[in-house]
Amino acid sequence: MDTLHAHLEALFDDLELVIGWETGYEPLRPTPAFLRSREDLSRLVWNPLCAPNLSVYLPGILKDAKETGKKIGVCLKGCDSRSLGALVQEGFVERERLYVVGLPCPGTVDPEALAEARKSSAPVTHVSFRDGLLAITSRDGTEEIELERVLARRCRRCRHPNPLHADVILGDPVPPRRTEPSFSDVDAVEAMSLEERRAYWEEELSRCLRCYACRNACPLCVCRDRCLAESRTPKWTTQRDGVRDKFLFHMIHALHLAGRCTECGECERVCPVGIPVALFKEKMARIALELWDYQAGTDPAATPPLQTFDPSETGI
Amino acid sequence: MEQAFFLADAELQEALAGLSAQADVWVPASDARKPGLVRFRRFQPGLTVRLDARSLVSAKEVLFPRSETLLRFTKEKDLSVPAGHRIHLDDARTVRPVVVFGCRPCDARGFLTFDPVFTKGPYRDPYYSERREKTTFVSLVCRDADAACFCSAVGSGPADPEGSDAQLIPVDGGYVLRPVTERGAALLEPIGRTAAPEQIREAQDVLDQVGRETVGEGSLTTLAEAFRARFQDPAFWHAHIDKCLSCGLCTFVCPTCYCFTITDEARGLNGERIRSWDACMFPHFTLEASGHNPRPSKVERYRNRVGHKFSYFPARYGQVACCGCGRCVRHCPVSVDIRAVVRDLPAQEEAHA
Ligand code: SF4
Ligand code: SF4
Ligand code: SF4
Ligand code: SF4
Repeated sequence: MDTLHAHLEALFDDLELVIGWETGYEPLRPTPAFLRSREDLSRLVWNPLCAPNLSVYLPGILKDAKETGKKIGVCLKGCDSRSLGALVQEGFVERERLYVVGLPCPGTVDPEALAEARKSSAPVTHVSFRDGLLAITSRDGTEEIELERVLARRCRRCRHPNPLHADVILGDPVPPRRTEPSFSDVDAVEAMSLEERRAYWEEELSRCLRCYACRNACPLCVCRDRCLAESRTPKWTTQRDGVRDKFLFHMIHALHLAGRCTECGECERVCPVGIPVALFKEKMARIALELWDYQAGTDPAATPPLQTFDPSETGI
Repeated sequence: MEQAFFLADAELQEALAGLSAQADVWVPASDARKPGLVRFRRFQPGLTVRLDARSLVSAKEVLFPRSETLLRFTKEKDLSVPAGHRIHLDDARTVRPVVVFGCRPCDARGFLTFDPVFTKGPYRDPYYSERREKTTFVSLVCRDADAACFCSAVGSGPADPEGSDAQLIPVDGGYVLRPVTERGAALLEPIGRTAAPEQIREAQDVLDQVGRETVGEGSLTTLAEAFRARFQDPAFWHAHIDKCLSCGLCTFVCPTCYCFTITDEARGLNGERIRSWDACMFPHFTLEASGHNPRPSKVERYRNRVGHKFSYFPARYGQVACCGCGRCVRHCPVSVDIRAVVRDLPAQEEAHA
């Protein structure tokens, strides 16, 4: 933490702003921070509750930024850095305009799991993190909870906790929880019979509000205000509340991320009704891996497989 | 407390089943697969009713469905008329009585924002109004405010009876049911037994104690003017809203956001005119036919959300359009805090330079 502050302070004259996290309305909810002055830097926090993937802001902020010659600083976890890689690959972000602070990531907390693990439900007044333990303080006292018990699903399968493409890495590298890609959650759904699987998704998707938080939180959903989910001409989806239209939206969303999804799990994290929508994209990521040995966002020089054509490709 | 009934914990399912005979009863309930996920669901025996938990989405959809059919249409070929077809419309509907049972005071109060808009005219909305007239709210006196709740800051509070027809007051072994309106009394009579004097005393103590609690700091009800003064201060809005993702989540979980769109969904010669939730956070909401969008970015969109609730609505209807339920704060993917934005409206310019 001190290293992060000190590092950015020393550099601040060369930076337009720094995007990081600061304490939100409660210490349990760090919120993205856009720090525009040296004094602001003291608000920065970094801990396993810093869930939002900050690369989602980069295309917009770079488009709006004045040409001052100064760089934009951004703090990225491992998975966030893969998203940056993919944005660079697709030409949405000019890497040289950024100063990337990579933060080796111990994993992030699943708020629902944390709520279940806590004995107290009182508002939290203080949080600290050390040696794999979260210490959570409220008027009922301090509880210590192992991070491993309350880890987000995305982090259980993470192979890239150590950021890629960074200008500087602050903190010691962490051992990845996985060294091989893990698709066991996709496997579990695929192990269901067709009827079970249909019933599973019908029930999950019946809760969807079509709030599109999953879409807007996705760093690779770059259509922004031009999404076909809301387009009336042409009309792809209706405004009915049935699973049909929701399913169509989610299928299109997933297909648009084929060979692009960087598995940061933000779509699933932000869903207010807990639909495991990242599974669709994980399925796509697996196909990209098996078909092309390709992992989005890991190599900024690589061309995404669906943005090129190679007549010698077989098996497609 | 003059008249009150007692409902033991063990009798809850039976009481709800009894109510369901005459009405659609909506209760906070959790999903079998996701115990932490509490939503309003139509009661059926065996449902896991969760009066102890705050519901994630508000009770709004009970009276204002996510998507509702306003009318059905069929086209019939008829070459004797210039258009070549006749259109038949059918807006027949049946409205069942509804009971919202075990919502929080803020949920019931949320509809007080809908009422003047949908029921008072000049354009009375028959769909909402008909349902509203047949709905009874039984709210639970609330003892577990979290860090996002701020009902007291918008002139309400965790024991607020306004908007409720009856109150559920947790006491030893169950609930004391206190009627607030005649409709509430009529609903409760058949489902509870008359409460014993000591139960009434205990309930009164709970009411008094919770009634004294303040949930949320300060008051956010008098900032209409401050909002107007801030309207053209881009630095202020950027400082608060740069992190917003411009999704529709905050408005969809909100009990007082009532914006909608109307679309015709047809297949062949038949179709339906549908009303579905829309939101000022979406780009299409203000997209004009020319392609111009007067709210081109999230900054103008979120500013509208704040202005509508804390300035335009109060100017027109004399009350803020927010019940302080905290859902938009609690569920926002990036923890945008509407309280902080509103509270800062009158603050010094320099703070955001
Ligand atoms: S997926 Fe990996 S890098 Fe991303 S938050 Fe989890 S552990 Fe950190
Ligand atoms: S975030 Fe969840 S509820 Fe919202 S559109 Fe996506 S899947 Fe549906
Ligand atoms: S405030 Fe939060 S929930 Fe609302 S549009 Fe912005 S990101 Fe989405
Ligand atoms: S604006 Fe937020 S706090 Fe106010 S009623 Fe809506 S969801 Fe609740």
